[in-house]
Amino acid sequence: MAFVLTLAFLNGCATVISKMINYRCTKYLGTNNGSLVNYVVASVLSLVLLLVFSGSSADLNDFRQTPWWLYLGGAFGIVAFIISMITLSRLKVMESTILLLVGQLTAGILFDAFVFRDISIRKIFGIVLVAAGIIWDNKISSASREKSSGD
Amino acid sequence: MYALFTLLAGACQSAMASLNGMLTDHIGMFGMSFCVHAIGGILLILYMKATTHERLKISGMPWYLYSAGFFGIFLVVSSSYCIGVLGVSFMTCISVTGQLVISAVIDHFGWFGVPKIPFNRKRLPCFILILAGLIILNLS
Repeated sequence: MAFVLTLAFLNGCATVISKMINYRCTKYLGTNNGSLVNYVVASVLSLVLLLVFSGSSADLNDFRQTPWWLYLGGAFGIVAFIISMITLSRLKVMESTILLLVGQLTAGILFDAFVFRDISIRKIFGIVLVAAGIIWDNKISSASREKSSGD
Repeated sequence: MYALFTLLAGACQSAMASLNGMLTDHIGMFGMSFCVHAIGGILLILYMKATTHERLKISGMPWYLYSAGFFGIFLVVSSSYCIGVLGVSFMTCISVTGQLVISAVIDHFGWFGVPKIPFNRKRLPCFILILAGLIILNLS
């Protein structure tokens, strides 16, 4: 359990570092091409890792027998990317951070309830506390950002 | 309107993470990562061809920026693994807390060349509230 919790935490840390790298890529290549780098490098590298680690045991039948809708993850990711590119310039950073979080957690609770069938009142209470803490922190941080930039 | 779409973008991220978790059960973590990035990349190219008509270009950056792809793999593999054990909402809560903590650390020490912003003590109660929520989540 401790391993999974640590990995989940590291996932968050890597998200921030990855966003910083992606942001610098977009400075060189523009928003879309800068993001495309991530997809191209990751596809090639995953294919290499797939071949190295599963080698001859990589079974094309597994890919064929997988229900088609499970492959929609990549599509949802791109939809999320395009929406946030369009809306980011029109909303305050704080607003879009909070809205993304609330959307993520609401959908997360629904998936936990209806797909994974693992939800409880106590769990929802914990999620609400975490969300409240993050939103509160966002308000404090953005208030001090505005003060320091003199707006 | 934009707010509604941003909410939807968040929901899409959760949907992606859940689907990736289930996809891993069928074709393994690297198979999943390959499919997710290849499909995402093709759709992004189609989107660019349809809307901005810009030329595709991924060369001409300092070499270390190409590590973006490595992070891409780590992120989809680790989140689909964690979701399998913790569920989507608990995983999201921990991951977002990780983002908050690392951002505060990066700002405080000015890592990666960002302007130094010392940690604001007023944020401590928020962190305690988040921690309380995570402890309750871990117990349930």
